Amino acid sequence: MDSLQNNGEQSAKFKRIRRMIITRVLIAPFLIVMLVCGVLVYFFADALGRRALGELSRITEGHRALVDEFLAEQVSALEFTATTRSFEELASGNRLDTLFLDLKSKFPAFEDIGVFDEKGHHVAYVGSYDLEGKDYSNTDWFKAVSRRGVYVSDVFKGYRNVPHFVIAAQRIEGGRPWYLRATIDSAYFSNLVKNVRVGSTGQAFIVNGQGVFQTGLSSGDRLKQQDPDWRLYRKAETGVESFTARASDGTMYLYAVGRLQETGWLLVVRQKATDAYAPLARAVGVAVLVIALGGGVVVLTAFVLASGLAGQLAVVEVEKREMSNKLLAAGKLAEVGEMSAGMAHEINNPLQVMMAECYLINDVLNDLEIPDKNLTPADLSTIRDSMAQISMQISRCSLITQGLLKFARKSDPALHEVDLGDMVEDVVSMVDKRAHIDGVSIVVSAEKGLPRIMSDESQLQQVFLNLLNNALYAVHNRPGAEIRIAVQQEHNEIVVSVADNGCGIEPENLSKIFLPFFTTKPVGQGTGLGLSTCYGIVERLGGRIEVQSEPGAGTVFTVRMPLSHAPAHPGA
Amino acid sequence: MSIVQILLVDDEERFLSTTKILLEKRGMNARTATGGQEALNILAGNPVDVVILDVKMPGMDGVETLRRIKRDHPLVEVIMLTGHASVESAVEGLKLGAFDYVMKPCDVPELVEKIKEAFARKQAMDEKIRKARIDRIISHPMAVFDKRTDLDD
Repeated sequence: MDSLQNNGEQSAKFKRIRRMIITRVLIAPFLIVMLVCGVLVYFFADALGRRALGELSRITEGHRALVDEFLAEQVSALEFTATTRSFEELASGNRLDTLFLDLKSKFPAFEDIGVFDEKGHHVAYVGSYDLEGKDYSNTDWFKAVSRRGVYVSDVFKGYRNVPHFVIAAQRIEGGRPWYLRATIDSAYFSNLVKNVRVGSTGQAFIVNGQGVFQTGLSSGDRLKQQDPDWRLYRKAETGVESFTARASDGTMYLYAVGRLQETGWLLVVRQKATDAYAPLARAVGVAVLVIALGGGVVVLTAFVLASGLAGQLAVVEVEKREMSNKLLAAGKLAEVGEMSAGMAHEINNPLQVMMAECYLINDVLNDLEIPDKNLTPADLSTIRDSMAQISMQISRCSLITQGLLKFARKSDPALHEVDLGDMVEDVVSMVDKRAHIDGVSIVVSAEKGLPRIMSDESQLQQVFLNLLNNALYAVHNRPGAEIRIAVQQEHNEIVVSVADNGCGIEPENLSKIFLPFFTTKPVGQGTGLGLSTCYGIVERLGGRIEVQSEPGAGTVFTVRMPLSHAPAHPGA
Repeated sequence: MSIVQILLVDDEERFLSTTKILLEKRGMNARTATGGQEALNILAGNPVDVVILDVKMPGMDGVETLRRIKRDHPLVEVIMLTGHASVESAVEGLKLGAFDYVMKPCDVPELVEKIKEAFARKQAMDEKIRKARIDRIISHPMAVFDKRTDLDD
């Protein structure tokens, strides 16, 4: 179950790696593409906007000239007529008839024509309405023309109830003013601007100085109403201005506005921004499509790549685990080899003593074989003494072999309750003799009543034996050599520290000591597997191993084992 | 032929005492020391021909002791006692001028044999030195009065 859980962790880890690769591989190109697109769209939109506004301006300019010319023509025709005729001549209906026909043949926009005396009485009229005899003295146009001489009205419905506007001219004849007034067909006039077409939503219209429509909008007749967007362009000066603005209905429009010289009216040409920017929308649409398709391909590629990479990492991880297991086994083997060499040496001393005792007994027995030689009490005590000594040395040997057996019996992977204090004492007893020979004192201080932990005793023994061997090596041939081992509880950990006052570890080596095959011992004397094995074992048992060292002053290895922990790999 | 003066050096006291008895029974004279320093002290004040020296000892180890013996008493022959695991030390000992080495646990006859060989060499060496001095005195009689010449060495 543990391995299952571990597999879960592993696969989560690789998923994380894969996600990381995918995001990092994608984010940078994506950002760059977006940036490039943004820049392109910005410049394209800018150019498009300029072009559209430029076109609107050109149209406005052209039509303004056209309308101005049209108005100027009508006005001058009327003025000319007024100055070349007399009031009496025109007041008699027949003359006005022929005049109107003549005028209309040249200027078809004229609807009708009328003559007014100085009091505003309509004295003569030619046209389709019956307006003769009506009093116009209170109308706006009459007041304006009597003041200014020439007047062009705004579009209005007047008595006839049809949109039109009038042009009036004053003539002073013999100190008495009279007036000639012509009506211009509003529809005729509107057609001049109605025909303007820009894109699919472009439209042109004319408003007067107060923003009241003078021509119908192609999008619906709103004649005589004030344009709700009047405020946007009312400040336009004599030239043509173009700009983009949001109309009251919330739509963005491109505007070009020019003021008519004759009447002060404004010619407005506008186009919906969406229409003007339609090519941009199409381009963006295509770009988004390309990015989406290309992005999909890139995402797919990145996904495949990252999955492959993560898969390879997983394989490497498994290989690493296998390798570390092999290293662990090799470390064990090397440890057994080192142990047995040490054991052989320790056994040699008692064997030597026994050998000497045997020769001594043999000497005594040889003496006894001489005829007439009797066993003296001294001989007897020599033999007894030697036998006692031999038996003593035998038990010494058996202690050593027991230690070896204890160490070697590590095939059982199961977890047991381990008292680290006792275990450390056991391990110390294994090397005590050697330490004594080397003149090293080993001081163990274990806290009383430490809780037991669930762990693998033989593996931990291997760890501490290794640490002790290293400590012995470090203090070798140093005066006052001492190894201090402390076992204590810190929070929810049992902490075992092995401190020596030996040669220490150089700082540049400190980071490498747990690597397999790293050793500072002369060739052939160290496998470089000891500490890496320790590290592997402690990690697998859920603990940590740390090192602090000062060259020339000593080294402290600290092993921290958790009180309650389900080890990652029991007995792996 | 004079009696062989032996110095046994080992940290195992029982081995020292037993081996001393065995050697003395075989007509040799043995002293014992449990460590390198003690051995050097004895060498400084007593005539010793052959030293049996354990390689592995607490305090000053065998190789270091050997180095000092050879420095202070170059004519003294040294036989190293080694275990299987410390053959390297034996080789080092031989390089430093030890006469021979014996593997632990050692046979008493083998040890005695080696002691005899060592003693023979020591005597031969002593003989050569004596002859050389006599030759010098014959060619330069006045050298007898040279204070630096110590004939009783």
